[in-house]
Amino acid sequence: MPKVNKLYEGIYEVVKDKKQLATRNIDYGKVVYGEKLITFEGIEYRIWDPRRSKLGAMILKKFNIPIKEDFKILYLGAASGTTVSHVSDIVSDGAVYAVEFAPRSMRDLIGLASRRKNIYPILADARKPDSYAHLVESVDLIFQDVAQPNQVEIATRNAARFLKRTGYLLLSIKARSIDTVVNPIKIFTNELRKLEQTLEPKFEILCVKDLMPYHEDHLGVLAKLKS
Amino acid sequence: MEYELFSKDSQELACHSLALRENIPNLLPAKFDLKAAALECRFVASPSEYYSLLHEVTIKTAELQVSGALTPDQRVIQAVEALDDINENINSLSERLSEWYGIYFPESGLGGEALAIFVAYYGSPKNIGPENPLYPKTINSMGAKLETADELLLKGFAESVYSLYERKKQIEYYIEDRMRYISPNLKLIAGSILGARLISIAGSLEKLAAFPSSTIQVLGASKALFKHLRGRAPSPKHGIIYSHHLLNTAPWWVRGKIARALAGKLSIAARLDYYSGEIDPSLVEKLETKVRQIKASNPQPPQRMHVNETKNKKKGGSKCLK
Repeated sequence: MPKVNKLYEGIYEVVKDKKQLATRNIDYGKVVYGEKLITFEGIEYRIWDPRRSKLGAMILKKFNIPIKEDFKILYLGAASGTTVSHVSDIVSDGAVYAVEFAPRSMRDLIGLASRRKNIYPILADARKPDSYAHLVESVDLIFQDVAQPNQVEIATRNAARFLKRTGYLLLSIKARSIDTVVNPIKIFTNELRKLEQTLEPKFEILCVKDLMPYHEDHLGVLAKLKS
Repeated sequence: MEYELFSKDSQELACHSLALRENIPNLLPAKFDLKAAALECRFVASPSEYYSLLHEVTIKTAELQVSGALTPDQRVIQAVEALDDINENINSLSERLSEWYGIYFPESGLGGEALAIFVAYYGSPKNIGPENPLYPKTINSMGAKLETADELLLKGFAESVYSLYERKKQIEYYIEDRMRYISPNLKLIAGSILGARLISIAGSLEKLAAFPSSTIQVLGASKALFKHLRGRAPSPKHGIIYSHHLLNTAPWWVRGKIARALAGKLSIAARLDYYSGEIDPSLVEKLETKVRQIKASNPQPPQRMHVNETKNKKKGGSKCLK
């Protein structure tokens, strides 16, 4: 018999043989990427693999993720929608604006969005927030997983445009896409300095941890606008 | 503010949304709020109507973009990747066929496509008539007796292998044909298949044209390159371009130099193809002259400085690795 503990709003821990991260499935009976479904007391949970999702890893690394079911979220680097599907579960009463640049991934994302009312797929370059500014409203949270050398700059540019004063920024920084040779720790310090001091708007960092053992050379960052 | 309302047709709205992307800063103020504006103008009656319409429109827009995203070079990329898959399968299946048929007719001396055609046509070696040059070999064959069940199996298998060879030719012809339009200069210098492979590794002709020639030189050798960048290996001299005849027939001590010259010309060719489309036949001549020069000025392998050092035992530098 499985047991379910609530970790955050919309995010659960299903205990069945072992502890597994999960979200409540809003698309009943449907599986997105081959994940397991577990039903408990009439509610269906989708198991969330932290090795396939930076956000999932951040939650298990005890980031205090400020997310509520009516949140509007801007998701940069949505890819095929593996993580997006879980975010869409969490903000069942909100919206996920999912920006992705690759047409190939967008094909899968469109399929997902057509089954989930709260996903708004946008095929655009996250480096150019102007190009989708007419579609996206002010958001409570920006999540970014884009693996670009200037990803912090991309994040702040989007934050300047779309983030509410009280909103949060959640980043997954991939050292290997910024520089393949330099020690990741050096890269991370440098990127965090950019976020706090160099770029506009400036951020206050709330939590920062690497994503080991789920993702190598990745840094998770939770930040909010400096008041 | 004056305004005019569009119809609520999602297809039409998607087209407007796409048109807006190009010149948005000119049209909308910085903190423009579409939802508030739509409600204010009574375009939509409620936020929930706004969201469901937006959902429809974003999906429609993305669909339009995805279906419009297929460029001619993407078609060739799929073809050349299919070709690689087919080659891989042909190799292992042909090997299986020659191993399998070898039990019954080891003297055939055939292999590859010829064997596939032979088995698909005749089946058992017993079916060969005296007019066939292989006939004498069947008489004293040490091969085992081929039973009907096995013969049927083998024949069908050989037919499949043969059809793969046919498919391979068809794809090669397609690539040949398309490369003439997409990338004529690259085709002149690299040949259709190598040219298509370069585009495939780069991701598109646009990206290939943007690469510096040093990157083109080591495309396909990323593993060796990153090993080198982390300081644990010598730099790779060539990647996929090693399959070019000027390079793989050259003596090892000039391959690095030729690879550099070839990559330079390939990068010029890719840029010509992407940006102008004009054919420049002088590129090939220039490259050949350059290669002759390189070979003439390096007729001998370089002298090894310290013969005793273990380092110098290595011959020919790093090989290209995928």
